[in-house]
Amino acid sequence: MASYRLNIMICAGTGCVSNRAFQIREAFDKEIRKNSLEKEVLTVMTGCNGFCAAGPIVIVQPEGIFYQKLTVKDIPFLVEEHFLKGRPVKKFMYTPPKETEPIPKMNDISFFQKQVLIALRNKGIIDPEAIDDYIARDGYAALSKILSKMKPQDVIAEIKKSGLRGRGGGGFPTGLKWELARKAEGEQKYVICNADEGDPGAFMDRSIVEADPHTILEGMTIGAYAIGASKGFVYVRSEYPLAVERMHNAIAQSKEYGLLGDNILESGFNFDVDVIQGAGVFVCGEETSMIASIEGKIGEPKPRPPYPVEKGLWGSPTNINNVETWANVPAIILRGSDWFSKIGTKTSKGTKVFSVAGKIKDAGLVEVPMGLTLGEIIYDVAGGIHSDKKFKAVLIGGPSGGCLPADCLGLPVDYESLTKAGAMMGSGGLVVADEDNCMVEMARYFLNFTKDESCGKCTPCREGNAAMLDILTRITQGEGTMEDLDLLEDLAHAIKDTALCGLGNTAPNPVLTTLRYFRDEYIAHIKDKKCPAHECRQLNTYTIDEERCVSEGHGCDVCRRNCAYDAIMGEKGKAHRINQDKCAKCGVCYEVCKFAAVKVD
Amino acid sequence: MVKLTIDGKKVEVEEGTTILQAAEKLEIPIPTLCYHPLLEPYAACRVCMVELKGETCKLVPSCNTKVAEGMEIETKSERAVKARKLNLELIMARAPAAEKVQELAKEMGIEKTRFEIIDPDEKCILCGLCVRTCEEIVGANAISFANRGKDRMVFTPYGEPSEACIGCTACAFFCPTEAITFEDIHKRLVVHEEMELGPSTAVRVPIRQAVPMVPFIDEDSCIHFKTGECKICERVCEKEAINHEMEDEEIEVEVGSIILASGFKSFDASRIPAYGYGRYENVITALEFEKLVNASGPTSGKILMTNGNEPQAVGIVHCVGSRDKKYNEYCSRVCCMYSLKFAHLLKEKTNAEVYDFYIDMRCFGKGYEEFYHRLMKEGTNFIRGRVSEVTDMPLTEKEEGKLIIRVEDTLLGEIRRIPVDMVILATGLEPGIDQNEIAKVFNISCSQDSFFLERHPKLAPVSTFSDGIFLAGACQSPKDIPDTVAQAGAAASQALALADKGTFELEPITAVINEELCAGCQLCVSLCPFTAINYNAEKGISEINDALCKGCGTCVSACPSGASQQKHFRDEQIFAEIEGIFIE
Repeated sequence: MASYRLNIMICAGTGCVSNRAFQIREAFDKEIRKNSLEKEVLTVMTGCNGFCAAGPIVIVQPEGIFYQKLTVKDIPFLVEEHFLKGRPVKKFMYTPPKETEPIPKMNDISFFQKQVLIALRNKGIIDPEAIDDYIARDGYAALSKILSKMKPQDVIAEIKKSGLRGRGGGGFPTGLKWELARKAEGEQKYVICNADEGDPGAFMDRSIVEADPHTILEGMTIGAYAIGASKGFVYVRSEYPLAVERMHNAIAQSKEYGLLGDNILESGFNFDVDVIQGAGVFVCGEETSMIASIEGKIGEPKPRPPYPVEKGLWGSPTNINNVETWANVPAIILRGSDWFSKIGTKTSKGTKVFSVAGKIKDAGLVEVPMGLTLGEIIYDVAGGIHSDKKFKAVLIGGPSGGCLPADCLGLPVDYESLTKAGAMMGSGGLVVADEDNCMVEMARYFLNFTKDESCGKCTPCREGNAAMLDILTRITQGEGTMEDLDLLEDLAHAIKDTALCGLGNTAPNPVLTTLRYFRDEYIAHIKDKKCPAHECRQLNTYTIDEERCVSEGHGCDVCRRNCAYDAIMGEKGKAHRINQDKCAKCGVCYEVCKFAAVKVD
Repeated sequence: MVKLTIDGKKVEVEEGTTILQAAEKLEIPIPTLCYHPLLEPYAACRVCMVELKGETCKLVPSCNTKVAEGMEIETKSERAVKARKLNLELIMARAPAAEKVQELAKEMGIEKTRFEIIDPDEKCILCGLCVRTCEEIVGANAISFANRGKDRMVFTPYGEPSEACIGCTACAFFCPTEAITFEDIHKRLVVHEEMELGPSTAVRVPIRQAVPMVPFIDEDSCIHFKTGECKICERVCEKEAINHEMEDEEIEVEVGSIILASGFKSFDASRIPAYGYGRYENVITALEFEKLVNASGPTSGKILMTNGNEPQAVGIVHCVGSRDKKYNEYCSRVCCMYSLKFAHLLKEKTNAEVYDFYIDMRCFGKGYEEFYHRLMKEGTNFIRGRVSEVTDMPLTEKEEGKLIIRVEDTLLGEIRRIPVDMVILATGLEPGIDQNEIAKVFNISCSQDSFFLERHPKLAPVSTFSDGIFLAGACQSPKDIPDTVAQAGAAASQALALADKGTFELEPITAVINEELCAGCQLCVSLCPFTAINYNAEKGISEINDALCKGCGTCVSACPSGASQQKHFRDEQIFAEIEGIFIE
């Protein structure tokens, strides 16, 4: 293998790609050729770095210099200064807010400091399309260890001892699941990797598959050895084309190296993996629906029991684990369960990957040890609320999770605490809301998603979610009654109690938690016909501060010209007024007024 | 066995039993909608939820949850009842026209749903019974669910009539709310050949009057023989009397005499295109009318046209396929009388005007002529003349939408056009399709019209030329029931007489083979009309079975070596007789 003086690791995560990461690579390559540095400098497209807010990101190894928010125009200067003359360019580095001196190295940035990387241990460091890169980072060492030294029972014991729990949301102990699958009767057994991530605002699984596909394959092979499976499937949504491509590539490479297929590492153990592309149905992330989908049937859940470990794919015992769970396995085997179980809390071991999004400064992908508080993740890792507004709530666990208020910021992130608070770990989506977000609208938004994604099999999920959405829509439009609120709460409990699968059981969580923590907002909508966050526009009243309109804006007339309903009266240079009878409450005047003369109430 | 408690009552049930089944045993009612004992639990309606007490106190669907040792179930806990009621209210809003849901709601004390009703005529509650029946029992997979969430519906591929549908109507049978009806299926698919006279079940007795009254499985309509699935009848038959794997087998029985009663075949009316059978829906044959008028028939005995209305005028056409040189020259004997019966039934059951088109009215039996006279008094219109055609092309306004029977009224001497709603073709009797093959097997002959030939038309009408083989019924010639019964009685007594005697009189004049002269050429074997000659391969000669030989002499005249000789008529004897004549 040729060695290079500098490795330019360009993040190819979704955020960075949409910020022209591929064009930046072209620009780098062009400049490198121009300066005849081809033999000294190598550009590599990596998986998601995680610090998406700073994209597009480039890290120059081996020093670990972190460059952010690059544009194509910056590249010639950067190449000349840094690569040719050896002077890292300060103006492209990350400067923390309220400070003046930039931080040159990635690991010194606060976003990365509290993170502990296990599942994401190779993100941004290796080329996801090169198996040699993975092997160089101790890849497949765990596989060779179990095949040469461990019996399947030992592998299961080790995983059990580590305390690893399912990262897909439920938190079922992984070792126990493997043991059940091993004990289940059946000649043919299967393992499945669940990469059908569908929560709005979640991109953990995608990032892991895109950044480090081999760790999943290694994890699955270890799992297959432990339970006695000879065939595996990776179920990826087809909306993740890069993940699909990289997984296919990784399978081909590991087959070539004899790490997958027949007689792996001369051990006599056979295991093969296929990629199945989902067609974008959210409920297929539920394991029985996923099995139906792989079998070629309609992706609908089946009642459990029988659980997939007893009777899964084509009636055979099947072990399904989430991407992140599989990614943890090689690390646990290699470094031992003692090391792993030291991280985290008493019941929740290890780390958890979260995708932090919403009204947050440093949105992105983080992996933190279990037990870190929500506040630490939001403020210390992700930099706090956007525009320094007031924190209102965090929705944890996607549409199946719950909205937790500021009181819960001290809550440690582990399975039990979150469930107790009415939310759930989910697959790890964190959506942060600030004072401008209406919690009724937030519940409505997520319910609208689950209503659309309900397969329609069981009554409570199909009819109940739609009925809840009706009520919430009425409330956000100021047409709700207090009886509606009671009915909404009854419905939410009934759906949670009686829905057939996890999607339905958890769909009322946003409603239930907002009712629990933000009931006064519901009452304000119903009784006062007002939205405290002013997000439900139908409840707003827009007025113009006539004095300010003239004194600050000199009657600029912009609002009148932008009003589609001819509701604003006035002329240039004079005070404007809003005719409330005509006003459609679209809020355009409020947005276009540069002088804050339009008031909303 | 597993012990558990339901509503405070202890019960012991077998392992693998569901909570619902255990509750049934205790006679504790739990409402269900999507459950059916013959199908796998689907657990989708969620109205059978019960509360499972214990550490993780939760609601579980009783139809699907298996019992476990020490389980404690509350079927009427506040939490369970509240959730069940809400789910039912949601179903009520979805399918307000479903009667079963309304009834269940009343039982559970719900007056009215609080949720928005979108379609007041909707009946489907998406319980999936139809889809699962089609998949699990029928194995046809002709229908499935389409769309997600609230848009979910039961659908055929692309909404087109499904090619996979075998028209078994099991989906409609299982549908609890009449959201799928038999009519729906029949509108989409013409399944039943018999003019859509309605579905007949695959397991049935041939007719209500059948003797013996034993059900059979009709392979043509049985779902199992179409898809390999179903076998519901096998599952529910407690006597385990049904076996789908049973196949036709050949049984050998040794008997002393045989009565042939192989019956007849009804004339195929579509062979006369002018009568429009198969083209016009309301032109039916006599046997179809018999089915229609039968109290256990598809319309419960009501005489209805295919559109469901009662006919205003009906024409009965005699001699269809009989007394016609183009088809069969003979008279079928029975048609006149059954046609008169039809006319009588039509008069009795409907207000229709009845027209009876005949060539000659052949009322030959006891009381028959009197019946004919009664019909005339009842007001049946008898028109003498052979019908030339049945058409639906009207010439006048009166004929619009009717079937017009064109006939030469030989009594009036003019061509008439009679508009009717229904035409019954009095189809004649024909020999069975395999009549000639049967004749070969039993070594008997057929007459020119292919009916079996009796030994003598007057003196031996039930015997054949083969001893011990007798004839009864329409296989010998067309005849009505009394005649058949009489002939069958005669045949039975002849057969009995033979058996009772215990001995059999041989023909004195039979052929005999001289073993020394026989060259074993086997010419005689192939020529013998009574299969009385066998070839003895060991000896290399032919041998005659005295019991079968009728002494016809065929083998004697054919034997090239002169080995075959007729007893009492040997060559020497005949030559001696001839010589004797010449001496005189």
